[in-house]
Amino acid sequence: MRQVAVTGLGAVTALGADVAALAAGLADGRSPLGPLTRFVHGGRCQLAAEVPELAPPAAAFGALRPATIRRLSRPDRLALITIEQALREAGLQPPDLAGAGLFVGATVGGMGETEEAYRRHRAGEDRRYRLSRLLGTPLSTSASAAAQAFGIYGPRATFSTACSSSALAIAEAAAAVASATVPAAIAVGTDALCRITFAGFDALQTLDPQGCRPFDRDRAGLTLGEGAAALVLEDIEHARARGARVIARVLGHATTTDAHHVTAPDPEGQAALGALRGALDAAALPPEAVDYVNAHGTGTRQNDEAEVRVLRAVFGDRLPRIPVSSTKAQLGHCLGAAGAVEAVVTVLALDGSLLPATATLREPDPAWSDLDLVPAAGRRQPLEVALTSSYGFGGHNVTLVLGRGV
Amino acid sequence: MDRDALAAEVKQLLVTGLRLDRPPSDIPDDSPIFGDGLGLDSIDALELVVLVEDRFRVSIPDEEVGKRAFASVRALVDFIAEERQP
Repeated sequence: MRQVAVTGLGAVTALGADVAALAAGLADGRSPLGPLTRFVHGGRCQLAAEVPELAPPAAAFGALRPATIRRLSRPDRLALITIEQALREAGLQPPDLAGAGLFVGATVGGMGETEEAYRRHRAGEDRRYRLSRLLGTPLSTSASAAAQAFGIYGPRATFSTACSSSALAIAEAAAAVASATVPAAIAVGTDALCRITFAGFDALQTLDPQGCRPFDRDRAGLTLGEGAAALVLEDIEHARARGARVIARVLGHATTTDAHHVTAPDPEGQAALGALRGALDAAALPPEAVDYVNAHGTGTRQNDEAEVRVLRAVFGDRLPRIPVSSTKAQLGHCLGAAGAVEAVVTVLALDGSLLPATATLREPDPAWSDLDLVPAAGRRQPLEVALTSSYGFGGHNVTLVLGRGV
Repeated sequence: MDRDALAAEVKQLLVTGLRLDRPPSDIPDDSPIFGDGLGLDSIDALELVVLVEDRFRVSIPDEEVGKRAFASVRALVDFIAEERQP
């Protein structure tokens, strides 16, 4: 098996238009949450983690023709911007790109544009449906646009496993590199805010109108976010041979299924536990090797409780000495993009020796007042190995083990 | 409606309907609508048929009529002026 290096990162999140803005926001712990502006929502929660106005460089869209660029859906646009950032950092050139794999995770695709087409039709603004507003509907369009933009001809797949979609994309990209199927693979997560997810989560009463407070005693749900993140994964020898910097390594990953409920996690967390243990086994590391856990930490009562139970089962009495944080406090829950966004966050933590915070935490739940949940702002600390877990509705569990670059 | 006002309305429809990143006044009357002129492609062609039919109550039933109507902005204005229903 080949070792898997991370050689490029890209991110567009509520904290800003690139990875540097993300890193700066994580360090200072600021909250970018604000009023929902992307569409009118009639429900109780009006707070979101929106991506600020996009002003991408022309290079972000590679070889795409102007007419195609003009019609890209918001998630496709976000995906392309982050892929270009990651490719630029990795320095992957066309010959390497041609054989690369492309693995995308997403949950809504161009649903926002589809909803707008429906609204315009209902409002009499468009008598007939407009093709251009429906072109981005399939989840697969981000991957096809990216392949066309950057000349990527290797294996290509789009995963949709709810909130673990892009964590799964990273796991599959890493597997393709480790098994020598491809010398490099690009893993991407992308999702934009849209009415159906916003109304759906609000109807389930899982949105906290005050903003999410993961692991807090008073936590009352999540905040929806949007964004995209991309990682270039590469055979470590291939990366070294071309002089690329190894920012981090993917040491292991595992995927399991709850088979329990359509939205709620299995309260016992048996399958989530299996993913965490399986990922450590795949990395051939004991729990003692882990220096930091980037939690799924949605801020719902059920998730955080089940997640802490899993962490206690794996780390036992040592858990209070392992920093655990949820960056959803700042970035919101980016759904299909969350796994990739949080993998980039975890790589930044390893690379910059900076623990990201659970920025909105005020009073930890008494059930875990013994834990180090990194309140308020980022904290300097050298890290060697970190975990990031993603748990999707329906019980799609993915854990990734990441290591510092060497 | 006079011809200049109709031409201005057609250019505005092109820009807002197809979300073009240029002011309508930048589009010359003799600019070819497809190909290199405005950088439109086959999907824009389908959209433009719908936009023009719905706005000006004309019918573009086939490719032959389409080719004539969409030869240039000037040709489109002429087509609408001739064919539109009162």
